[in-house]
Amino acid sequence: MSPQIATIARYTLLEALRTRLPGLVAATVVLLVAASLFVHEIALTEGARLQTGFYAATIRLAAVFITGLYVLASITREFNDKGLEVLLALDLPRSHYILGKLAGFIAIGAIIAAAAAVPLAFLAPTSAALQWAVSLAVELGIVVALALFCVLTFSQLMPAASFVLAFYLLARALTAIRLMGAAPVSGADELSHQVIGFVVEGLALILPSLDAWTQTAWLLDRGADWRDLGFLAGQGVLYVVLLTAAAVFDFYRKNF
Amino acid sequence: MAERRISTVPGPVWVTLAAALALQVAWQATRPAPIAHAEALDAPPPEQVLRVASLGEPIALAQWLALYLQAFDNQPGISIPFLELDYPRVVRWLETILGLDPIGQYPLMMASQLYGQVPDEQKQRLMMSFVHREFLRDPDRRWRWLAHCAIMAKHRLKDVPLALRYAEDIARYARGASNWARQMRIFILEDLGERESATILLGGLLASGEVTDEKEIRFLTRRLEQLKNAGKSSPLPKN
Repeated sequence: MSPQIATIARYTLLEALRTRLPGLVAATVVLLVAASLFVHEIALTEGARLQTGFYAATIRLAAVFITGLYVLASITREFNDKGLEVLLALDLPRSHYILGKLAGFIAIGAIIAAAAAVPLAFLAPTSAALQWAVSLAVELGIVVALALFCVLTFSQLMPAASFVLAFYLLARALTAIRLMGAAPVSGADELSHQVIGFVVEGLALILPSLDAWTQTAWLLDRGADWRDLGFLAGQGVLYVVLLTAAAVFDFYRKNF
Repeated sequence: MAERRISTVPGPVWVTLAAALALQVAWQATRPAPIAHAEALDAPPPEQVLRVASLGEPIALAQWLALYLQAFDNQPGISIPFLELDYPRVVRWLETILGLDPIGQYPLMMASQLYGQVPDEQKQRLMMSFVHREFLRDPDRRWRWLAHCAIMAKHRLKDVPLALRYAEDIARYARGASNWARQMRIFILEDLGERESATILLGGLLASGEVTDEKEIRFLTRRLEQLKNAGKSSPLPKN
């Protein structure tokens, strides 16, 4: 890693520390642990199972929300403060700026994933909690790269946030949509169904199927196979590279 | 603001983007298509948890849950007959939905008209028992579903005593029920050969003045006379 990329990554991490992000993450974890305890208390049966399931599902969504929004807000602030223009006036390749920011944000995502998994170490088997944390870290890596790509492309918070949300929800639901499309209850021969089926299969080639990631079932029933986790990590790295290349491509074409 | 020319993008960025996109598409294309697995119906979360999760809209949540449960036989890519569902769990779902929206009739309709129609006597009885239990909590609003169960018990299960029990409960507790439902026990008693009881009940009903429709009064009076005559002579032909 070049010194310029490492410096940008370091300052991105430092910025996160100074903008109360750690406090927000800690408060979210504490709040959701408390909520899961409440669920445990009022459950008639399988209290521990319900508690673990509730905490894992909600903290996963919260981590994605916090990380994605943090990236969007951070880059938007750089746009507004003209800090980006100052950086670009230096002898710094545009790709180095993106890579530095990406490295910093991915590190933040990994720290958030680790913090989110701490309570799970007490609620589920350690290996399952570790697998869950690794998967969440890779998932947050994709969210970071996606948010970075969106905010650089749209240059505004609202459209970028909407795109990230829509992408994430679609990636989580895509497998179910494909299954429903493959075996419809009725109307399989209609042209509209065939067109939609074609579009969905096309999307499946481009989008990662996030429903297979960071599963609560790993914590409750049986842990994931480490080979499957390696496969997910490989897929995650490839997708981060793809999104980053798209972001760099777009960034090189931007006029400031 | 016009974008810079595409030639300003360095070659390695082009190559990386194209290679990553090609790899991604190839990776996904070589993966096997997802396979549908029938998922067992999980137990519903506790009602209190759902109340919190509803954010103050328990009725809306109950309606969503009812649709979820109704669609459970049709999971993505696979269709499961109602018969294969875990009925004690279905009952727990229906109870939870009814707990969130006690005024709603949907869970009772599902119990009597959907889940109660499977060709499995034990499962039919489970659903009828659920409807009866819930009827006793709010008879005036839920009598029509128990009336349906009474008919099911009589004609499908051929369990006339059970049908009579349901019909008697409707007459006893659901003061606001339609006359046909409140009169049902009379005809069931008649089927059971309890002509004397049926005669007394029918006479009492006519004397109470609850029936006000003239045609209905004429029909019931004729029926009462038939019962009395049959009691004096030969058995009544069954209708």
